[in-house]
Amino acid sequence: MNSAYKKEIRYTLLFSVLLLITGHCGLFFVAFPPLRGHMIFGFPSQFIVPVLMGWIGLMIVTGIQAKLTNDLDDEIEAMEDVVKES
Amino acid sequence: MDNAQQWALEDPTIGIIFVAASFVFFYFVGWYSARAAKTSTDYWTAGRSIGSITNGLGMASSYMSLATFMGVTALILKLKVPFVYMWIQFGLSIPLITLWYGTPLRRMGVFTPAQFVRERYGLKTSYMVALFMVLIMVMYAIGQMIGVAKVFEMLFGVNYTLALVCGGALIVGYVAIGGMYGTSYNAAFQMILMGVAFIVPLGAIMKAMGSSGWFFPPLLYADMVPAMLEAVPDFFDMKYGFKWYFALIPCLTIGAMGLPHLGMRVYTAQNLKSARGAMVWFTFFCGITFSATYAMGFSGVFFQATSGATIAPTDYDKITLILNGVYNPPWVLAFVIAGAIAAGLSTISANLMAIGALIAQDIVATIKPNLDEAKAKFLNYSAIAGGGVIAILIALNPPDFLVVSVLFAFGLAGVTVAPLVILGVWWKQANRYGAFAGTCISGLLYIAISPYIFPNFILAGGLPASLGMSGSLLCVPLCFFLVTTVSMITNRIPTLVNRIPHEEDKRLVDSIHGWTVYSEERYNSTMAGVIISAVSFFLVVYAILPSGW
Repeated sequence: MNSAYKKEIRYTLLFSVLLLITGHCGLFFVAFPPLRGHMIFGFPSQFIVPVLMGWIGLMIVTGIQAKLTNDLDDEIEAMEDVVKES
Repeated sequence: MDNAQQWALEDPTIGIIFVAASFVFFYFVGWYSARAAKTSTDYWTAGRSIGSITNGLGMASSYMSLATFMGVTALILKLKVPFVYMWIQFGLSIPLITLWYGTPLRRMGVFTPAQFVRERYGLKTSYMVALFMVLIMVMYAIGQMIGVAKVFEMLFGVNYTLALVCGGALIVGYVAIGGMYGTSYNAAFQMILMGVAFIVPLGAIMKAMGSSGWFFPPLLYADMVPAMLEAVPDFFDMKYGFKWYFALIPCLTIGAMGLPHLGMRVYTAQNLKSARGAMVWFTFFCGITFSATYAMGFSGVFFQATSGATIAPTDYDKITLILNGVYNPPWVLAFVIAGAIAAGLSTISANLMAIGALIAQDIVATIKPNLDEAKAKFLNYSAIAGGGVIAILIALNPPDFLVVSVLFAFGLAGVTVAPLVILGVWWKQANRYGAFAGTCISGLLYIAISPYIFPNFILAGGLPASLGMSGSLLCVPLCFFLVTTVSMITNRIPTLVNRIPHEEDKRLVDSIHGWTVYSEERYNSTMAGVIISAVSFFLVVYAILPSGW
């Protein structure tokens, strides 16, 4: 199996985990109560961290996801050309 | 405070002018853009020509329903921070759809996820999935129709039935005329309208309440927190157990991945790179509007706790209008109402497009595959108009289970659609037997254990049961378990495998990932199937255990 395929699987799993962390980071505050109650930017941590992760964090992850998966598509296209020619 | 008197609209004239002007605009855009639709493909996918910013706005707009203006703020008033957690994860929908199946299905050239199910698992499963999808979209659309009708009722002072029939007919008209072209461009405009109508007046409300961060309402209201904590000490409490929050993943995150009208937005993109660009724009538009929604809900709780005003629970869903009525001039309130209607319309439009495509392309076109273009065009218009008329008729006197909650419909999509599409795209061993068994058993069980069919046969009481959270926690992994296990078993029984075109199904998986040369090894791991099956089984057991909510 070629590296582009492995990369595709790796990216999909990695970005799924990262996306779930950004959208569900409140789960950490439920699982670990000592994380709660610290004030960050004037808000309790269990509120502002999930809100920021669900917006800014998500934008950053999707930006990287878009860049890497676009590059991967190019790689697959290039690789298929090589296979077809041989 | 006497709520009924207090919160009635004093002078609806400006509101009527704003709403009428916006409808004229929607019809113009629908008519103008529809001229570009030459074929059915153009009609259902906007000629696959929508750019990334317009598509990102359209994606966000399909998601910003009337609930953004009404339901969400009401639920923040009621549930406080747990509801914010519930809402935050909705931003994952389009990124996860794009990552897991949006781009492969876009590459395949489908109109709806049901079309992929047909190619991958055969007609029988696709009919069942299409019917589940129509039910999901009808549940979704009815909630919006009722909401829009109630706003019309308030605005025009007419009775509910007249408001519903007239409002519904106006909406169905512009969606049917415009097709996906009109819907996409209208949705982009509606997103801008609703964003401005929600966020700018919120800044004025926060300024009037004394917040120094009024110039950026979505995030800068920390100076109101101490007063909030004093007045409502439990506002930031978590309230529920781990299971409650964990159940949001199968119910709402995976649920949103199964919603056809969201997936369809990816298929309208010019190309895969444009689809991914739209995904990033979606997270921006979604994030800013969602954050403003939390700020509005926060302001509502703050207003109630610090001003001495009491808002009746029946008026909770009007909090956005109430705050604007109290702190802003009437023309701003009228603008907010136009924004709320735009939010409802954008979602209904996307729902109607999905219902129409499912009926026209996934049901009728498979029964009568060789329709000429004129008949296909007539079928397209009729499917949307028919779906709209049915939604209006049901909304006149809706059965209880159809209006319980849009969130319950999310769970149904997570149970019946998402596992089939995800496994179908990523695992060649998923076969037609597994898909049929998985979606059929899990879908029916999800409906059966809801409190709306057999009130005594439920998994967890209260909110988790009524929103479909407990049902999804059981039935989403059950569907994954059944698809993987039944597929692995039946793939080893030659007489069963020989009855289905399993080799063609496997080749389809390679092709939609962009591989032109087939390899048996790709997406074909038995170990992956065993792991998915084992983890799913563990989650099924976890869901059945009564504690943890």
